Amino acid sequence: MATEQESQQVSGGEFEREPVPQHAWMGFKNFIGMYAGEHCAGTELMLGPLFVAAGASAFDLVVGLLLGNALAVLSWMFVCAPIGTRCRLTLYYQLEKICGRRLVTMYNLANGLMFCFLAGAMVTVSATALGVWFKFPMPALDDMYPNSVGWVLAVAVVGLLISIVAAFGYKTVSKFANIASPWMVLVFLAFGFVGLRQFITATGVEIHSAGDLWSLAKTHMWKGGDALPGQVKFTFWHVTFFGWFCNMAMHIGMSDLSVFRFAKKSWYGVASASGMYVGHFMAWIAAACLYAYQLHLDPMDTKVLPGPLAFRAAGLTGLLCVIIAGWTTANPTIYRAGLAFQALTPKSSRFKVTLATGALATVAGMFPAIAMKLLDFVALYGLILMPMGAVIFVDFWLMHKLGLQSSYAEKSGKHFNLAAGVAWIVTLVIAFLLVKYAGIQIYFVSLPGWFVAAILYIVVSKFYQQKIRPAA
Amino acid sequence: MRLILRIVSLLSLLGLILPSFLFLIGQVTDLDKVKWYMVIATIVWFVTATPVMWKEKKA
Repeated sequence: MATEQESQQVSGGEFEREPVPQHAWMGFKNFIGMYAGEHCAGTELMLGPLFVAAGASAFDLVVGLLLGNALAVLSWMFVCAPIGTRCRLTLYYQLEKICGRRLVTMYNLANGLMFCFLAGAMVTVSATALGVWFKFPMPALDDMYPNSVGWVLAVAVVGLLISIVAAFGYKTVSKFANIASPWMVLVFLAFGFVGLRQFITATGVEIHSAGDLWSLAKTHMWKGGDALPGQVKFTFWHVTFFGWFCNMAMHIGMSDLSVFRFAKKSWYGVASASGMYVGHFMAWIAAACLYAYQLHLDPMDTKVLPGPLAFRAAGLTGLLCVIIAGWTTANPTIYRAGLAFQALTPKSSRFKVTLATGALATVAGMFPAIAMKLLDFVALYGLILMPMGAVIFVDFWLMHKLGLQSSYAEKSGKHFNLAAGVAWIVTLVIAFLLVKYAGIQIYFVSLPGWFVAAILYIVVSKFYQQKIRPAA
Repeated sequence: MRLILRIVSLLSLLGLILPSFLFLIGQVTDLDKVKWYMVIATIVWFVTATPVMWKEKKA
């Protein structure tokens, strides 16, 4: 899962309202390191096991993730990066020029809330490590509410610490996250090695070739079949679309414009492959391996608890990895959510807003429903922010060709571009109706939704811009 | 000094992953030992990499 701790460093609060000048452009290697670190986070320890809980087979998991991640990389390369390197503006400034300040504030609010809940899931992940030490009852896969006082206290302590650190500023933790990043990637890899060996030993299967390994994966590790109670059944297409769209807000939702404005070339978008294939392939499969082994030992033990899973495989190092992965990713997420909320009340203290945001994330983290339904939540998160990506894409590439004005809010002095607002809200309403009444699962509505948003933006702009001509 | 720290930190990453790889291929069978090696490698990594990487980011 993306957390943007490194993106923050790249964007660094500089050039927020101007194109990034040439002397500040960065080389390819910066983006490789940034994506590899950013997408190997605490939530990977939840997502990998949840694929297994969703009944994904070995083929679905491996090939689905290979394809889905490739599509995600192509989305960064051909949708997000080309605009980022041409405009060289932050997402927020670009949106402000198109949508107007009020609509951007609404977008910020939505973004802040989503970040808050995501940070809650990261706090949940870290708190599961405390459960190994203090032995309090931890939530089960289908738990919606906190199930013990110990759990509530653990989340409260972890959440409070993360919030206080975030309120003092995320930069120190961000530096620490950079140091932890290579270590964390290797600990994830070690999870996979240990989990695989444990499977080989437990099943007594002899492995002499890649074929033997694949056979073990198909018949013992990820057998497919029904999803566990409370989980949606995942097929090949579910895994593919999830892999493609779990960072939808960042590629086709254009959040990473803020990152690629520093890239010398748009093909640097391919650097996202480091994050996808380290974090969203290797780390997910390694974590899935640990959970599959847990189910192999006791099919009734369906709890997805990163702390105990990591401890079983790598002992103290595993626990430390869970805590650090959750902490270093929740910290900037809470900080960013705080900034988004602060934009609503600019006079309020950032310290207090971030603390309040952290408190909200902590309360959210006490409810295991978010973490246990992380597959759904991540899909919802991308869906809510995605329509604005379509608006930016159309505004940049198509508006002039269609005889319409791009950056309309800036040129007309409007604070709320109705066309962009309608494209956003109506797309979400249509997506909601499709999920609710047409039986289309949330993982699949985002792709048509992107085109719906694009078409709506063009059509409404056609009427809207005719009625109110820009002043300039 | 920085060069030494850098080399030791890189070796600690090797020390982190090697025991689990040896466990995978069956050369090491005691998982508890693997876990202890990983703890030691972790301590060495953070002790040696922090001064190097912290300063790099400042520069």
